[in-house]
Amino acid sequence: MKLSAHYSKAIIIITIFVLLAGGVIYFFTINRLGRNLLDRDLTEEFDEIVDYVNLNNKLPKQGDFEDDQRVFIKTNQVRIPLRFFDTVFNRSGEKKLEAGRAISGLVSVKGEHYKVLITESRQSTEDLIQLIGLITLVLLVSLLLILFVTNRYILNGLWKPFYQTLNKLKTFNISDNEGVFLVGDKVDEFNELNQAVHTMSSRVKNDYQHLKQFTENASHEMLTPLAVITAKLDTLIQDETLRAEQLDQIHEIYSSASKLSRLNQSLLLLVKIENNLIDNAELLNLGGLIGQKMRQFNELAVAKDLHVDDKVDDVIIMASKYLVDILLNNLFSNAIAHNVEGGQFIINLANNKLIVQNSGTGQPLDPNRLFERFQKGKKSEGMGLGLTIVKNICNLYRWKIVYSFENSLHSFEISF
Amino acid sequence: MKLLIIEDEKALRDNIINYFNGDGNVCESCNNLATAIDKLYNYDYDCVLLDIGLPDGDGFAILDYLKTQMKNEAVLVISARNSLDDKLKALNIGADDYLTKPFHLAELKARALAIYRRKAFNSNNKLTFNEISINLMGRTVSVNNQPVSLTRKEFDILLYFIANKGKVISKNAIAEHLWGDEMDMHDNFDFIYTHIKNLRKKLLDANAHDYLKSVYGIGYKFATL
Repeated sequence: MKLSAHYSKAIIIITIFVLLAGGVIYFFTINRLGRNLLDRDLTEEFDEIVDYVNLNNKLPKQGDFEDDQRVFIKTNQVRIPLRFFDTVFNRSGEKKLEAGRAISGLVSVKGEHYKVLITESRQSTEDLIQLIGLITLVLLVSLLLILFVTNRYILNGLWKPFYQTLNKLKTFNISDNEGVFLVGDKVDEFNELNQAVHTMSSRVKNDYQHLKQFTENASHEMLTPLAVITAKLDTLIQDETLRAEQLDQIHEIYSSASKLSRLNQSLLLLVKIENNLIDNAELLNLGGLIGQKMRQFNELAVAKDLHVDDKVDDVIIMASKYLVDILLNNLFSNAIAHNVEGGQFIINLANNKLIVQNSGTGQPLDPNRLFERFQKGKKSEGMGLGLTIVKNICNLYRWKIVYSFENSLHSFEISF
Repeated sequence: MKLLIIEDEKALRDNIINYFNGDGNVCESCNNLATAIDKLYNYDYDCVLLDIGLPDGDGFAILDYLKTQMKNEAVLVISARNSLDDKLKALNIGADDYLTKPFHLAELKARALAIYRRKAFNSNNKLTFNEISINLMGRTVSVNNQPVSLTRKEFDILLYFIANKGKVISKNAIAEHLWGDEMDMHDNFDFIYTHIKNLRKKLLDANAHDYLKSVYGIGYKFATL
């Protein structure tokens, strides 16, 4: 739930409670006030009657006036305490009963006792209460309406810069060169947030740039010493006095040096792909490239006595030839290197899908770790960067690569 | 062949000179841009080996210089930067080939010779090694004027050996020459063995001398007896 929704939910609940409570308090207060007023009126009237009786020594006329009715009832009771009570008021000439308030008391005229009952209509008080109730209700509804509108238009407007910042953060790419550009706002908190985001992103980018630079420089700096090692070895083996064991040692150094240089090149390539530094994309006929690649690899496949089965249609893709070359090299090298003697090597290119399958040892690979750096099979002679590079090339061009293991075939499927 | 080696790393420079010397080559060297331009201004060379990363500027300036002076040296660029852009840039402004560090001296020599021959003889030339004669354009080989049919790989190996005649060439260098960086062939030397065995057999069948020697554990040597 959005913050504004949480906020309005709280506000609405509070508002309803406050207004309802207010209504109830109003109701009781008005009721009480009205009753007090009526009671005072009734008392006054009763007093008037008592005064009249004392003065004239007779009962006043029983009357049915507009708003009050007086009734005298002869009674044997000697004492009737002055009492107020709610009753009904039957307005003469109207059938409708109204709420009423009455006072009963005792007057004595010439030794005779009369119970006096004065009833007054409470209609006006009721009307007032109804009116107040109505006003409260209208207030409630309009307040809710106002809250809704406020939320919808004003609050959302207020939060807009926040969502802009959020979107910028979501699309934040550490390897993008441009910084996170955030617009200023009239809300201090958002400005502060933007400032913090800006500072943070610049710092992260900066660090990342340094790291990248470091990787690149370190890799480059390693190449010259490697070149020196190789050149020294090339010179060293010209020495005819070297013994076989020494030559064996030299051969090992050669292999390690060349492994190191390939590792270096792979890491540099990864840096380049990840930073999108290879941008010479062109339209390529993948089918043609695969054909060429197959011829290159044919020798290897024949040596392992593999059954090569390729169905290759013409598929045109937009990519860098250099990277596609590397992608195919890595996939095909793997498919052959991890194959078994007399195994299968299947290539299928159709409907914008490239499927490379090979037989191998019976174990499926862990699809979660397969594409991670330096993950390699126990028997692999490689560095464990081949598939990482493949994955990164696919990511670069937004191709989807999926690994599966069916019918004891390892299968890599790339959807273009 | 008269060479100018422009390389600031002394160890590497010395080894290159050492490797190229003899075989009728004359090597001069320098370690910075200024001296290189000075030398190129004063002398003509057949081939220039140029390191792009020099202490006083990048080697592209030399290519620019050669271009504006309309000099005809074959230039082989050596670079620690394996970047496609750099490679294309170098080739565009007049380099004849581009080699990334680290490299084998045998590879360097083979490439330097190749671009030199291409420049000097307009690639329409024959390369002769005693009784073996190679038509570089038509990629054909004959021994004592009898044609020998070689596969593409065998032809490449033969050319590579002749360029590095008299030198021991490691299996690693041959593997990299034949398959490049791309294929993960580097620890598999059986293929080289097969190709070389076939090449040797074909040459012997054509009554060539047995120039190919296996050097135990490390590689091969192609040399006159």
